[in-house]
Amino acid sequence: MASLSATSLSFKAPSIQSTRISQVLRKPSSFQSISFGGFQSSKSLRLQISCAAKPETVQKVSDIVKEQLALSADTALTAESKFSALGADSLDTVEIVMALEEKFNISVEESDAQNITTIQEAADLIEDLVQKKPAA
Amino acid sequence: MVAKCQVISLCRSLLRAGCKYPDYNIREYTKRRTLDGFRMNKNLTDPSKVNDAYAEGKEQLEVVERVLKVYLAYPPKTKNIMELKV
Repeated sequence: MASLSATSLSFKAPSIQSTRISQVLRKPSSFQSISFGGFQSSKSLRLQISCAAKPETVQKVSDIVKEQLALSADTALTAESKFSALGADSLDTVEIVMALEEKFNISVEESDAQNITTIQEAADLIEDLVQKKPAA
Repeated sequence: MVAKCQVISLCRSLLRAGCKYPDYNIREYTKRRTLDGFRMNKNLTDPSKVNDAYAEGKEQLEVVERVLKVYLAYPPKTKNIMELKV
């Protein structure tokens, strides 16, 4: 997903920067072809290393997790931090998933909810559901 | 002995049923009460007690769903002040 938007970014970029950026961007995504014209809201020229979740989504998820688990504001939350490592048991995970459902206005299935263990997974799932929803 | 995933699944069902209430008070109450109830019984090890707690949870789920139907028939006309953004 991110690589798609990355190529569409490089086409829209001004010509001076495009060569430099497209060199850097094309390295990870060697299988890219023409962009399909999927209008994803790519706000700024960001190098998206993580596969498929926007940094804003990850940030929002981290905020919700911090709030639910009552962590102090300066605990460093990376995208790969597991909920269990942060001191959340399964009930806390359920609560976090409910808070995410409410915040992003999505509906997570049982089976999906049981597989969420890290912040990155949660952000990916949310992105998936948010994209599927308007199409329905 | 009830499996952990069943317990989690029951918790989710209760929370999701509770979210559907149009009335702010009942919605918040069900959320708070389910989480408190599950946390209180979190450390039970005796299988009969676990089964009892699970059965009680199932009954409450039925109650929530039944009462939800009644509340949906008469939704409140104005929003609760707690729901209004400042």
